[in-house]
Amino acid sequence: MSSSKPLGNQARPVLSIARVTQTVRTPEPLTIVHEASLQIFPGEAVALVGPSGAGKSTLLALMAGLDTPTSGRIELDGTPLETLDEDGRAAVRSGKVGFVFQSFHLIDGLNALENVALPLELAGQRDADGRAREALAEVGLGERLRHMPRQLSGGEQQRVALARAFVGEPAILFADEPTGSLDTATGEQVIELLFRLRERHHTTLVLVTHDPALAARCDRGFQVQAGRVSDWQPDPEALQSPAATQSGT
Amino acid sequence: MSAMRPNIWRLAWQGLVREVQSGLLTPMLLALLVAVSAVTAVGFFVDRVDGAMRAQAAEFLAADGRVESPDPLGEQAELAQELGLTTSRQLTFPTVVVAGDQTLLVGLKAVDDAYPLRGTLGIDRGQNGTQTVERGPPPGEAWLARRAMLSLGIETGETIEVGRTRLTVSAILEREPDVGNVFAQAAPRLMIHVDDIEATGLVTETSRVQHALLVASDADDRRRQLDRLEEQLDAGLNLERPENSQPAFQTAFDRAARFLGLAAVVAVLLAGAALVIAARHYNRVQQEAAALMRALGASSQVIGRVYRSRLLMLALLAAIPGIAIGAVTQLLLAGLMGTMLDVDLPAPGLAPVGLGLAVALVALFGFALPSLVQLKHTPPLRVLNHLAAAPRPASALLFGAGVGAIALLIWFQARDTRLTLYVLAGLGASVIVFLVVAAGLVTLLRRWPARGAARFGLARMARARWVSATQIAALALGVTAVLLLSVVRNDLIDTWERQIPPDAPNVFAINIQPDEVAPLQSFLAANDVEDAGLYPMIRARWSEINGEPVDLDQYEGRAHNFATREFNLSYGDELPGDNKVVKGEFPAGGFSVEREFAETLGWSIGDVLTFRVNGQPVSAKITSLRTVEWDSMRPNFFVIAAPQLLEDTPAQYVTSFHLDEGREGFQVDLLREFPTLTLFDVSRILEEVRTLIARASQAVEYVFAFTVAAGLVVLLAAFGASERQRIHDAAVLRVMGASRSMVFRALWIEFLALGLLVGVLAAGAAMAVGMLLSAQVFDLPASANPWLLLWGLAAGTLLAVLVTPLLGRRMTQVAPAKALRG
Repeated sequence: MSSSKPLGNQARPVLSIARVTQTVRTPEPLTIVHEASLQIFPGEAVALVGPSGAGKSTLLALMAGLDTPTSGRIELDGTPLETLDEDGRAAVRSGKVGFVFQSFHLIDGLNALENVALPLELAGQRDADGRAREALAEVGLGERLRHMPRQLSGGEQQRVALARAFVGEPAILFADEPTGSLDTATGEQVIELLFRLRERHHTTLVLVTHDPALAARCDRGFQVQAGRVSDWQPDPEALQSPAATQSGT
Repeated sequence: MSAMRPNIWRLAWQGLVREVQSGLLTPMLLALLVAVSAVTAVGFFVDRVDGAMRAQAAEFLAADGRVESPDPLGEQAELAQELGLTTSRQLTFPTVVVAGDQTLLVGLKAVDDAYPLRGTLGIDRGQNGTQTVERGPPPGEAWLARRAMLSLGIETGETIEVGRTRLTVSAILEREPDVGNVFAQAAPRLMIHVDDIEATGLVTETSRVQHALLVASDADDRRRQLDRLEEQLDAGLNLERPENSQPAFQTAFDRAARFLGLAAVVAVLLAGAALVIAARHYNRVQQEAAALMRALGASSQVIGRVYRSRLLMLALLAAIPGIAIGAVTQLLLAGLMGTMLDVDLPAPGLAPVGLGLAVALVALFGFALPSLVQLKHTPPLRVLNHLAAAPRPASALLFGAGVGAIALLIWFQARDTRLTLYVLAGLGASVIVFLVVAAGLVTLLRRWPARGAARFGLARMARARWVSATQIAALALGVTAVLLLSVVRNDLIDTWERQIPPDAPNVFAINIQPDEVAPLQSFLAANDVEDAGLYPMIRARWSEINGEPVDLDQYEGRAHNFATREFNLSYGDELPGDNKVVKGEFPAGGFSVEREFAETLGWSIGDVLTFRVNGQPVSAKITSLRTVEWDSMRPNFFVIAAPQLLEDTPAQYVTSFHLDEGREGFQVDLLREFPTLTLFDVSRILEEVRTLIARASQAVEYVFAFTVAAGLVVLLAAFGASERQRIHDAAVLRVMGASRSMVFRALWIEFLALGLLVGVLAAGAAMAVGMLLSAQVFDLPASANPWLLLWGLAAGTLLAVLVTPLLGRRMTQVAPAKALRG
């Protein structure tokens, strides 16, 4: 079990989880997340670190309402997720949550503009195209609006994904190994862009990574080890270490 | 959270456009296109040929409807005119004409200026041979049948006495459209103008005059006008319509329509199979997009609506060009018909357009939607974990929707419950047998100790037993259809053509007195003419059923016509050659009834029928039901009685025989020998029926092209769905050192094995279904064609030859590294 530790921010947490456990049958029961508790406050950048298979992505899925825990409470922006069905959680995600994935998850059939406009369209918002156009310009792809995902490089695809994540001005953004599919240089550019956008939009960020250098850019962090969550403090020196040039390994 | 609602249509349209562009939806689009084209082409074409056939059939009546009565029909004519129908009236009665010292009994027909309302007359004015005219003789003139001219020894231009007046014979009457009831024409025809009747003084209150009112209309709602006239006619009057005036012709057309309908149904069903496969593939591909949309906050309802809307758009996208292709195809078919028959086909109606749209919607929503409906339940977690997938659609939903769609589609096309049930049963049984046998064979392959390329080739099939079995079943279904329509079609058409052999009877002889039966048979035999049997014929009216008077109000349409008119009953204790007892015993002391006739009137075995014959009741049970080959051109009867019921009743006899071309003179000899005989030459009808069969078989070949196209779409869908996985597997093999030729060899082995399995299964199914169709749907003798097995194996090999090089090239063209990166 971990403790929560707001860093200079005494406001109501945007995300709060309490004694969350996730057990799956594979076919023997296997506990992937064990009685995790933590709180994340508006504007924070929080890293979830740990080795592969430790349960980071599962914890992220639970916090984002993509999955339901076996037990425990999760409150996202004041809404208890465990009381909602899937459509209810989808409604919470719509407009409040943004995602960036390791494998981009752009829809092959839609062009860059349509991919970015998608969350706005799904939320029934007006001028989705106009706002998507602005978001793409913000990530430097204002000239690639009509390009299909397969016509873009990996880095460009992830920038489209960033534009899609920020276009709805979400309260909280979940990023799951966002540089995992990119080479080092491109990965760094994407991370720069991610943090710049986060600051500009005052977005809370939950970043899953096993890269200490990337985690060091966050305000604080949690270590996930064999499903158990504990506080973890980023090491500012890691930013200068050679490992800072290795991401997504 | 936003209270606003997403623009579903926009989301659906965006995805649709891109998926069509990327080729993801190509198999579904093509499948729909083929289905809609096939259905609309056949729909338009059958609509037009049906119209032409009705027009031709109308010529046999010289009208769209005809009322006959011993009383004048002036009131009825006024009624018809009020309903917007064009009318013509005529009188017929036997009379004697005199030319010099010769007299002759003739069948006089007096017609007005409007006659004929449909069709034309053929006359010979004695100069330029037969010419076609659209109107009957003017007042003062008479047209006389050639036989009468010969008997009277006169030529055109001479005069004859008709009652108290003299008329000039201005032409020989060669052909008239409404020859009337075959069995009512007792003497050669004399045709005059109705205005001359009064001068003849032949029509008095006691005359045996038959009045006829002919009606026609060019209005679109002609059928309704005729229905209304029929409703308002007095009891005892009957409106005869073209569709029931020529049963032989109708039988031939019904069969033609069934052949065409079957070809289109098979194309649609194959398209359905392609849709099922393509939709499953689409479902797999779309799970990523659905999961992402859910992660981004879309509710399951939104996802469901997006995909339903997309399907609706896809249906329209396919239906519009599909209907256009159907319309163009029917023009080709119509052109073929026009040149063969010299018939003007009427313009098609709009009903096939609606049918095309309905087919697109039913096919898509029946075959594809059940696979896609689960997309809305895709867990959003799938964006992080690929193992999280939407639950599989319930088997009952897939099965129910598929069977429902198939039943609806067949019914749209065939409007025939029996055909629908047979195709459904045949299809269901075939699919089950295909799946079970294919799964069994694939299991055997798994155990076969193959090495090298064969191991890889067969391993792919064996790896996913039910997936392979499904693929084999779908392809076998396609090949079955193609075999059915190519090989079995020929068998069916051959058998059908043999139904009307070149020596089918083409002359009917009626009015044969009982004492003439033996001499006539001897005369025919002496002249090398074989008769089709002589049958007694007695006019009767149905009056009671099970002791209760017939309630005419409970019968409508065709049944009402049957219930009100006089029947020709026959009797005998030997079943006519082309009849088959399907229920009960013949004649077993009662009545034997033609099956469809009994169904129309709601009669069953055991019902007691009473007929009034010469004013006397004759009652007996129905003891058997028969089928009759109406197009055999032999004398046939709806009702045949046991001899003891009718043998004491005065009867005339009827027979038919075949006369070779050029032996028309024999008819004159026959009439000299048996002057009271009436001969009716049906060679024209026979020729029409033969031509119709020839036309229909050609049309089926055109429609068959759709079936082949649908089969190819099944192929595209089946292999398109697995292409990505195959490219990946080939890349893995190549990374591990397999050569391109080894990948090709493995593919050849896989597809040859698959093709041969498909061929054997399809041949067996085609043989079984073909026999079933022959016997049960087309009422033709069933026979198995052993060549089917060879054709099946050839088709399976062809499948391997078609697919392997194409797919192999695609599998080996992509660089392994690129293929592995996906």
